Amino acid sequence: MTGFIIRRLLSISVTFIIVSILIFTMMHAIPGGPFDGGEMPLPPAVREKMMAQFGLDQPVWVQYLKYMSGVIRLDFGVPFQSPGETMFSLLADAWLPSLVLGGLGVLIGAPLGILLGIAAALHRNTWIDYLASAVATIGLTVPVFVTSMLLILIFAVWLNWFPASGWGEPINWVLPITAYATIPMATYARYTRSAMLDTLNKPFVTVLRAKGLTENKIIYGHVLRNSAIPMVTVFLPMFIGTATGSIFVEAMFRVPGLGSYFVSSIRTRDYPLEMALMLMLTVMFCVAYLISDVAYALLNPRIRYGDRKG
Amino acid sequence: MSFLKRARNWATGVAVAASLAVPAMAEITVSAPGDSTSGTYFDYMKTVYARAGFPEMTQLPLTSFDNNFELEGMAAESWSQSEDGLTWTFKLRPGLVYSDGHPLTAGDFVFALQRAATSGYDFAWYWDFAGSIKGWKEVTEGTAGVETLGLVAVDDLTIQVTTNTPKPYLPSVVSLWYPVPKHMVDQYGDDYALNVETIVSSGAFMLESWEKSNNSMVLVKNPTYTGPWPSLVDRVEIDPSLGAPEVGLPAFMAGETDYAFLNAGQIPFVEQRFPDQIRENAIFATSYISFDLDSPPFNDVNVRRALYYAVNREELTATVLKDLAIPAGSILPPSYPGYNPDIVAQAVFDPAKAQQFLADAGFPGGEGFPEVEIWYRDQGGYNGAITAPMLQYLQAQFKDVLGITMNIKVMPIQDWMTGLLEKQNNLFLAPYEYDYIDPSNFYGIFYNGGRHDYHNDQYDALVAAADADPDWNKRYELYGQAEQVMIDNAMIIPVVHPIQKFVVGERLSGPGAEPNAQGMTPLNRLVPYFYAHLNVAE
Repeated sequence: MTGFIIRRLLSISVTFIIVSILIFTMMHAIPGGPFDGGEMPLPPAVREKMMAQFGLDQPVWVQYLKYMSGVIRLDFGVPFQSPGETMFSLLADAWLPSLVLGGLGVLIGAPLGILLGIAAALHRNTWIDYLASAVATIGLTVPVFVTSMLLILIFAVWLNWFPASGWGEPINWVLPITAYATIPMATYARYTRSAMLDTLNKPFVTVLRAKGLTENKIIYGHVLRNSAIPMVTVFLPMFIGTATGSIFVEAMFRVPGLGSYFVSSIRTRDYPLEMALMLMLTVMFCVAYLISDVAYALLNPRIRYGDRKG
Repeated sequence: MSFLKRARNWATGVAVAASLAVPAMAEITVSAPGDSTSGTYFDYMKTVYARAGFPEMTQLPLTSFDNNFELEGMAAESWSQSEDGLTWTFKLRPGLVYSDGHPLTAGDFVFALQRAATSGYDFAWYWDFAGSIKGWKEVTEGTAGVETLGLVAVDDLTIQVTTNTPKPYLPSVVSLWYPVPKHMVDQYGDDYALNVETIVSSGAFMLESWEKSNNSMVLVKNPTYTGPWPSLVDRVEIDPSLGAPEVGLPAFMAGETDYAFLNAGQIPFVEQRFPDQIRENAIFATSYISFDLDSPPFNDVNVRRALYYAVNREELTATVLKDLAIPAGSILPPSYPGYNPDIVAQAVFDPAKAQQFLADAGFPGGEGFPEVEIWYRDQGGYNGAITAPMLQYLQAQFKDVLGITMNIKVMPIQDWMTGLLEKQNNLFLAPYEYDYIDPSNFYGIFYNGGRHDYHNDQYDALVAAADADPDWNKRYELYGQAEQVMIDNAMIIPVVHPIQKFVVGERLSGPGAEPNAQGMTPLNRLVPYFYAHLNVAE
């Protein structure tokens, strides 16, 4: 296992470098630049001066090497759109609301989805199954900005139970987190139902029943554990995906999170911010998949990475 | 009276006084949507296009416009023009100070433009195009030193501006001239405008907090402000996220903002639900079609005239644009100084005339006419709401009436601007919103190259004469003649003037929220006036 983890960490480093080169190149390949002016272009002399000030007059590969040498020292540059801040302070401030929104969304949505999936699998082809499947399908197919709008209309405008938007107090969190939770809930409901049905049809379940184990022990002691294996691989990447913000939910509920930076950094050609966001996502996804693989091995005794004797 | 009784009476008196005093001390707050969630410096003179929030609320311009678009002196108490018309002298009001107590002086205004001319200010072109400040072009191009600019702080209360040609409308141009607190720049550099702690205010408001991720801000009344238009409310909370109609209207209905902008789909609902609270603003802006006048097929005036008469502006605005725009027959919008109904009356939809012009150009029924592409810029706000449907309508209209095929291409604003200036295409849809209130603003964009690289000697001569003439009636007459030249040559096709619609809360009052003499409510298109003239009926 240790060897496996070391090999994976090495491959993560290679992935990181490849992704950084790709993003840096693509970013600079997009027409336009951060100092192209607004209604009218800047005079060429002024533009050149500003490009030189930020080192953008140098060849792209030189800019890349300089940037990456900073990254090694955890210096991600100065965001053009917030020049007085470090990248860390900018992202830390915006990340917290995204983390709360996405994290709680997954932590609430995933267990609900699992429960729905279990209920659907255990009562296959009954009204419970149909209802759970309908909820999951609606959750997956209705765009989250529509769900958000409906939640605002019902619970903020008509019932006046919660604020329509904003992020100051925990009461502001209820509607955006609910809107957010529909995605992991629906995803998990479908995964769990399908994994549970698959496991219930396995021969070992018949053996367990023949041995006289109670249905509860079979379901919760064996079937659920075996069904959890594919779900583990989904959980962390989904958690990372949601923890980095949803542009739509954050916009609809005025959550001051990371989502808007993904859009504005591209629109304003804010190269340091774009790079920092993408590199952060790359590392988080790589680590999440590594943890998922390790957890996969721990849950499934048949899988032992690097154990050739097997 | 026993001690206990006396004590009880005293306590009652205090309680009554407190109960009377508490409402009087309660802060009056207005919650409002903003414009843009992104932005860098809270300094209008550092960047206009990437400014964060509304720094115009916290610095005092030399002049400004009220809701009837009348020019008022703000930091400037008076102004005068020299005999030769080339020098303007602005006298500042005495006693103006920043929120930190530091005096606001003529030096802060001069410093603002000196820095703008030398530090890559993205609005620098305005001070050449509109201000024609002596030496501006040379300094911005780096061929002359900043000391050669026609700007002098004669003393703490006197500014002298020298222009290349007489500019009788300069007091209007300087409505966008805000001071920069030099004492803060000396201490912190331009980054003073990035931190709430170092931002000082010379205007009616000062910044209390700033959430950088979406540029929401809280501004409070500036206690040191002694200039015109003091704020009627104590606090204004501005959240740009509320500027999107789909976010703003639900928040408005939940009581979380005092007004909200509307999109086309929301208007019928709001008209039914809040009929007395809906307002509109005819923005001083025009969307028009422009050409590369030197390249075929648009180098033929008959082709351009054909397009001019093939636009059914009334149908376009009443149906496709759902009243988010009104027909434009002139580059000048209605109510704008110099607006001329005789010019507007010429912009009629006449399919027969359009077809005849196209036939005269050698393309009867569109036969042999090359496929053309119209470029427009990707933009949000009021332009974003109307541009795409407008172009689709024009595409269909030109096909039906003239039999010509026009493709549509959307592009980022900078690429579009470069395409326009470098003539990378021959057909553009161009939006333009006023920067200052004077016809020279709109006519200037076609003058001697300008925004379109147009060079029409007759037009240029008329505009130059109008720009410099001290007689205002004569000026309007000359501009009218210039626009007639523009129409005769079909240099542009005015299509629509955009309209902004919004709903205001019942508690919102004050002249800023009320319709003006023309029945329009300009809201935050007039930042210094608007926020200072809001009130709340508690």
